Amino acid sequence: MDSWVIGMMLGVSVFLGSIAVVALMWAIKKGQFDDQEKFLNSALFDDVDELNDAARVEAKKKEAIKKKEYKPE
Amino acid sequence: MSEKIKCDHCHLAFSQDVMIEDNGHYFCCNGCQGVFHLLSDQGLDTFYKKLGDEQLTPPQEQYEDSINFNAPAFYERFVSVNKDGFSEVSLVIEGIHCSACVWLNEKALLNMDGVIATNINYTNNKAKIVWDDDVVKLSEIIDMIRAIGYNAYPYDASLQEEKANKERKDYYLRIAVAVFATMNMMTIMVAQYAGYFTGISEDVKHILNIGEWVLSTPVLFYSGWPFFKGMYYGMKTKTVNMDTLVATGSLLTYIYSIYITLTRSGEAYFDSVTMIVSFVLVGKFLEALSKKSIADTLDIMSQHLPSDVKVIEEEKIVSKNVNDVSVGSIVMLSSGDRVALDGEVIIGSGNFDESSLTGESEPIFKQKGESVISGTVSIDADIKYRVTKDYANSTMSNIVSLLENAMNNKPKIQQLANKLSEYFSSTILLFSLFTFIGWYFYSSNFEQSFMIAISVIVIACPCALALATPVATLVGLSIASKRGILFKEAAQLETMAKADVLALDKTGTITQGRPGVVRSEILKEFDISMLYSLVQISKHPIAKAVTNSIYTEKLICYELDSLKNIASQGITAMYNGKMLAGGNAKLMQTIGLNVENSSEYSEFYFAYGGELLAKYELFDMPREDVKESIQKIKKMGVEVIMLTGDHAKSAKKVAQMVGIEKYESELTPEMKAIYIERLHKADKTVVMAGDGVNDILALASSDIAIAMGNGSDIAIEVSDVVLLNDTFSSLYDSFKISKRTFRMIKQNLALSLVYNGITIPLAMAGYVIPLVAAISMSISSLLVVGNSMRIKLGYKD
Repeated sequence: MDSWVIGMMLGVSVFLGSIAVVALMWAIKKGQFDDQEKFLNSALFDDVDELNDAARVEAKKKEAIKKKEYKPE
Repeated sequence: MSEKIKCDHCHLAFSQDVMIEDNGHYFCCNGCQGVFHLLSDQGLDTFYKKLGDEQLTPPQEQYEDSINFNAPAFYERFVSVNKDGFSEVSLVIEGIHCSACVWLNEKALLNMDGVIATNINYTNNKAKIVWDDDVVKLSEIIDMIRAIGYNAYPYDASLQEEKANKERKDYYLRIAVAVFATMNMMTIMVAQYAGYFTGISEDVKHILNIGEWVLSTPVLFYSGWPFFKGMYYGMKTKTVNMDTLVATGSLLTYIYSIYITLTRSGEAYFDSVTMIVSFVLVGKFLEALSKKSIADTLDIMSQHLPSDVKVIEEEKIVSKNVNDVSVGSIVMLSSGDRVALDGEVIIGSGNFDESSLTGESEPIFKQKGESVISGTVSIDADIKYRVTKDYANSTMSNIVSLLENAMNNKPKIQQLANKLSEYFSSTILLFSLFTFIGWYFYSSNFEQSFMIAISVIVIACPCALALATPVATLVGLSIASKRGILFKEAAQLETMAKADVLALDKTGTITQGRPGVVRSEILKEFDISMLYSLVQISKHPIAKAVTNSIYTEKLICYELDSLKNIASQGITAMYNGKMLAGGNAKLMQTIGLNVENSSEYSEFYFAYGGELLAKYELFDMPREDVKESIQKIKKMGVEVIMLTGDHAKSAKKVAQMVGIEKYESELTPEMKAIYIERLHKADKTVVMAGDGVNDILALASSDIAIAMGNGSDIAIEVSDVVLLNDTFSSLYDSFKISKRTFRMIKQNLALSLVYNGITIPLAMAGYVIPLVAAISMSISSLLVVGNSMRIKLGYKD
């Protein structure tokens, strides 16, 4: 069936394209393009240490929030 | 002489014997050594690897006490609490050179207990820091930044700047979706059009229609959401605006197309839905992009006032925040300082630059008992003054609050396109309603009548109407910017084209802003180097002008003895045992020379050994091309008025020179603004051109404010238009370009109305075939774009 093939191709390409758009939107929302210099330089800072640091910061934030919530007023 | 080696921290090279040696490392100073050890202890020494060969500024040690940052008043102003209960502050970090510096600051701060998040922007060195105030205090955070060799000071990240950024981000998201869908839609439309001409099977067409449906849905409801919101607010205030037309037009087209798709009858118009939304959204975004926030201006304004003053308390000098200084305190002011609070001189005397209030660069001499005004600058005065007004009531603070007021209440002239679209939208909606009723009575076929009614709205595609203004102004703006005229907002071209009155500041705008020698008379031959040695010492504008006019490379600077600066008279000095004197007639009388003051210009006399040698006449001359430009502007039907803080005599002289009949003199900054308000009351559209701090209130209250490119940065900030090349003829050019652009806008609107006048009756009669609809839609948009390009004709450069 001709039209079935056309429909499938249309669907798949729009789906793949929309994944890219959603990724772009996520990055814009996270503020990754706010600072173009940093955005370009971040390629220099992406070794294991940086990833560990990022994970540590996340953990620290979670802990701090927890502490705040349980704090007796 | 030993070899030069590099400091291990800042990488500046010095000779080895001045360096501090420490375990094989070399440092240029204790500061660098301290930072190096701190980084090693914290495990941050990979910083040096990242730094590479970049050089740093060695850390400095004299900072104000960081404890100040913990004061409640400070927290109230700069620190906010976020939804998780953490504190947030915005800082500007000084000393950032490279990405390694950003890395180091972020790492060092995150290593501290209680700091939750940091985000440093490399481009503008602004940082946002989030911390838990129970664990760590702001002063400790700032101490850490200082300890690693940088400095930080807070700034007020006011809501407006934040809001503008958020708005821009929102547009990016919506445009990303719209552009993605529109581009995919175009490829599908290639197949649709090819099929329309060469034949296409119903099945394939149906599938393509469904694909278009899927693509246009997010565009209409996500990207087009601002239009629905605009329509909602319009309905609330019972106005029909451009948003109403775009929203109803695209929504009805969308529904119509869904119906066509489901019933497989005729052509769907999903492509025009995405096109309308995308085009109009991009136009809206361009307008939002050029909008500046008031917040930034006020930020710059407050930078012009010192935040700390030296207060004398119990024989000691204490540095105090201006907000904490009470009336009656004694404040010390050194030469070069800016006055922060209004007061009265009690000890000392000297010259003040009051140009921020009067616009005149002539220094004003002040002594005991006279009042000093905030915002003015001490040129050479070291004085103590008693505060007579607290900070909030001081002159400059008053101007800031007046300015804030004026900028928030800036008159907005409704744009022609908006006004037109109001009528247009309601007319089209009414037409389509009549069409439906008419057809229903005529044919009694509900479905057919409904389809025809919708096609009226679809045909009256607001694309051309919505594009008429943005495209024309964009072309106008680009021509203007090539000629050094910067319009900060697109809508200002139209407002400027409607101007009735041009108000001009005198000093610095019409004139050059500093005196120049207009006539010199050498009474007796003498060694010019003597005069040069004398006048080059003084900072007074008259002395500077004389220096400039006599300067040649051959002049020698002699050693002079017992120099004396006699305020508001001139300077004297001893050379070869005889007295040199340069100054005004009063000074000449003091040294026993009788000169007659006959000239209408300022005069400068030079005497040596009691003998008058030369006489110079000085005047702040108008710029070169002022007279012709004013003539041309008048010819356009714009009334020209001069507003100046200078006295009537020199105002009259300048007005005559440049051909202005109407002028007002001796105006304070507030009076200038009031004058403009009065013009507003008489229903005039006012353009104000100025350059100084004394003009900002008037600039802010005018419809269009124009700043000269070398004007003060506040004036440039407040203004809507900046003449970058600082010539008066570009003022005329800006009028010309805006008038031309406005004419194009009117033509464009007329074109799109004519187009609608032809097609709407056809649509109402039910004669619209899909091909005609599709082609005529693009043709109307093309016509508008093509016509706008004509603004460029006659501007070949």
